[in-house]
Amino acid sequence: MFSKRISVFIASLVLGLFLLLPATAQDSVELTLSIGARGFGDAAPVLIETCEEEVGGISVEWERISDVPNESRSIYVTNFTARNSKPDIIAVDVIWPGDFAARGWIAPIEEYFGEEALAEYIPGFLAAAQVDGHTYAIPLYIDAIHLFYRDDLLEKYGLDVPSTWEGLIAAAETVVAGEANPDLAGFISMWAKIEGLFMNWLAFFQGAGGTFFDMDGNLAINNEAGIKSLSTMVSMLESGVAPESILTFRPNDARLLFQQERAVFLMVQDFVLAPLTADDSPVKDAVEFTRVPYFEGKDMTNTTVIGGFLLAVNKHSENVEAAADFIKCFTSYESQVQAGLIQGKVPTRPAVYDDERIADEAPGVAALGANFVYAFARPSAQTGTAYPEISEIMQTEISAALLGEKTPAQALADAEAQILSLMP
Amino acid sequence: MKQANRAGRFFLVPALLIIAFVLLFPIIQTIVLSFGRNSTSIFYDYEFAGLANYQRLLRTPRFITALNNTILFTAVTVPIELVIGIGLALVLNRQFRGKGLVRMAVLFPWALPTALNALMWRWMFNTEFGLFNSILTDTGLAVERVNWLGAIPIAMASMMFVSIWKTSSFMALLLLAGLQTIPDDLYEAGSVDGATRWTAFRHLTLPLLRPAIMVSVLLRTMDAMRTFELPFNLTDGGPLTSTETLSLYSYRAIFQYVNFNLGSSAIIIQFIIIMAISIVYIVTLRRADQ
Repeated sequence: MFSKRISVFIASLVLGLFLLLPATAQDSVELTLSIGARGFGDAAPVLIETCEEEVGGISVEWERISDVPNESRSIYVTNFTARNSKPDIIAVDVIWPGDFAARGWIAPIEEYFGEEALAEYIPGFLAAAQVDGHTYAIPLYIDAIHLFYRDDLLEKYGLDVPSTWEGLIAAAETVVAGEANPDLAGFISMWAKIEGLFMNWLAFFQGAGGTFFDMDGNLAINNEAGIKSLSTMVSMLESGVAPESILTFRPNDARLLFQQERAVFLMVQDFVLAPLTADDSPVKDAVEFTRVPYFEGKDMTNTTVIGGFLLAVNKHSENVEAAADFIKCFTSYESQVQAGLIQGKVPTRPAVYDDERIADEAPGVAALGANFVYAFARPSAQTGTAYPEISEIMQTEISAALLGEKTPAQALADAEAQILSLMP
Repeated sequence: MKQANRAGRFFLVPALLIIAFVLLFPIIQTIVLSFGRNSTSIFYDYEFAGLANYQRLLRTPRFITALNNTILFTAVTVPIELVIGIGLALVLNRQFRGKGLVRMAVLFPWALPTALNALMWRWMFNTEFGLFNSILTDTGLAVERVNWLGAIPIAMASMMFVSIWKTSSFMALLLLAGLQTIPDDLYEAGSVDGATRWTAFRHLTLPLLRPAIMVSVLLRTMDAMRTFELPFNLTDGGPLTSTETLSLYSYRAIFQYVNFNLGSSAIIIQFIIIMAISIVYIVTLRRADQ
C-alpha cells in the first residue's frame, strides 16, 4: 500500500517535470553561439551571462568550436550547405564574410544596428564584412600582426628598435654574430604554406609600397614592389637571418622558439603577447613589440595586417533579430572593456583604447591599439568566393620562391596568371 | 522453407535500409555531384555540367601532382611494408620466452590512431626541437639540422617512413595468421628431405603464405591510395604540394574552395583507380588458387 503511494507520487512528479520543461523553454528564445574556446576563453561565459540579462528573453548556449580557422571553417561549410538553422551566431575569421555572404550563408544585419552604431567600430575592419552596401558581420576582436623583439638583446648591442626591413636585417645580423650561439635565430615567423604566409608577404609588399589591387581594382602584384618584397624574404632565408625551419613554422611554432630565447625578432599575430608575457615565460621581461616594418623611404605605408574575428548571423536562423541584438550587446563598449581585461582581447572600437580601466590594467592591449592607424585588410571582401583559392595560389607561389624552385619574378608572374584566370 | 526465407528477407530490410542510407546515398550523391556545376546537393539548385569537372581536373597540374604523389607513396611503402611484415611475422611465429610481450610491442604502432601518430612524429621531426635533429647534432653525425618536413623531397621520404613504421605491424599481423595455418609436419617432412632453412622458406612458406600476402597487399594498397590523416597532420601536404595526396586534394577542393563538384570528381577518379587495382589483385588471386 505504502509503496504504491510512493510510486504514484514519483510518477506524477516525473509527469509534472515533463510538463514543466517545455513551458520554461518556451519562455525564452534559444540561441547557439559558436566561438572558439581558446579564442575568447574566459571572457565568453561572463559576456554570455551579461548579455542574456541585458537583451532579455534569450538563453544562449556556447558551442566551443576549434580555434584553428581551417577546421572551424570546414564545420561551417558542412553545416551551411545542409541549411542547418543552428548555430545562430558564428564567429567568422576576417577573411570569411565576403565568401560566406556571396554564398548566402550569413544574413545582412545592418538594419538592426543603424549607420551611427556601425560607425563606432574600426572602419578598416568593418569593411571586411561589407559587400554591396550590406553589413554581414560585426567586429569582435582584432588579432593583427606585430613585430615582437628582444629588448634586452637590442640594448646589449646598442641598437635602436628597427622600423625598416633594412634596419631589421642589419640588427638581426649584429646580434646573432655577437651572441655566437648557433641556436639563436635572427628573424622567425610563420612561413609554412598557410594563410599566415600570405599575410606575411602582404606586410612586406605593402611596406614596399604595393597594394594587392590598384585604384582601378586591377590585380597589381607582378611589379617592382612585389618583386622587392618577395626577394627580400628569399634573401633573408639565404643569408641565414631567417632559419631554414621557418618554412615549417605556424604561428605557435614560431612563438615557442622565441619564448625559449632562441630568436631576436618574431613577426606573428598579437595572440602571442599573452603567453610571451605570462609569469612562467623566460622572455616575459625582455619582449617588446612594435609595428611591422616597412622598406626605406616608404614610411607612409600601412603594414599592420589585420586579422581577427567578427560575429555573423546564420541566414537560416529562426531568430535573426534576437541574434543581432545579442551581437550588439556582445560587441558593446562595456563588453569589449571586459574582454580586454579578462582575456586580453584587442578591441574593435577605437574608443575602448582610451578607457581608463584598459590603460591601467591592460596596457599591452592599449599599446597594440596605437598601431591600427597603419592597418590594412586582406583582399577578401573584394574577391568573395574566390578568396580561399587566391590565397592558396599566393601561398603556393610564395613557397615556391622561398624554396628556390622559382625566381621571385617567375613566382609572381605565375600567381598573377592563375589569379586572373579565376576572376571574371 | 519458403516461408522461412521470406521472413528472413523481412528481417534484412532494416539493415539494408541503414546501409542504403549511410553508404549508398553518399556514393550516389558524390557521383551525381561530380557531373554538376556550382551545386552542393542533389536536392536543390542542381545543374548538369557533363564531364566538365573531369576535363578541368586533368588539366590541373595540382591534381596530377597529387595523383603522382599518391601512386609514388603507395608503390614505395607497400613493398617495404611487406618485406618488413614477413620478417616480423617469421620472428613472431617462433617459440621463445616473452613472445606475448613482443607481439604486443609489434602491434603497438598499428594500435595508435594515425592522426595522433602523425602529430607525435611531427614533434620528433621538428627541425629546431625534434628528437632526430638533437640526436644528429649532439652526436656530431650532422652539423646542420635536417629540415625533415620542410624540404623537397625529404618531406615525402619522412612521410613514407612514418607510414612504414606504422603499418608494417599490420602486415605482420595478417601474415602471422597465415603462417599459423601452415602445419608443422610439412617443415618436418622438408627437413627429412634435406631442405635448408632458406629452401624451406622459398619452397614451403612463401607458396603457402601466398593468399595471406595477396590479401594484406590488397588491403594496404587500397589504404595507401586513400591516405589522408598522415599528410593532413604531418606535413599539411607541403612543402608546396609535394606530399599532397588525392584524398587531401579532394578534401581541400570541397571544404576550402567549397567546390563540391570538382572535389567529387577527384574522388570518383580515385575510386576508379582503386577499383581497377583491386580487380587486378583479385583476378591474380583467383588464378593462383586454380
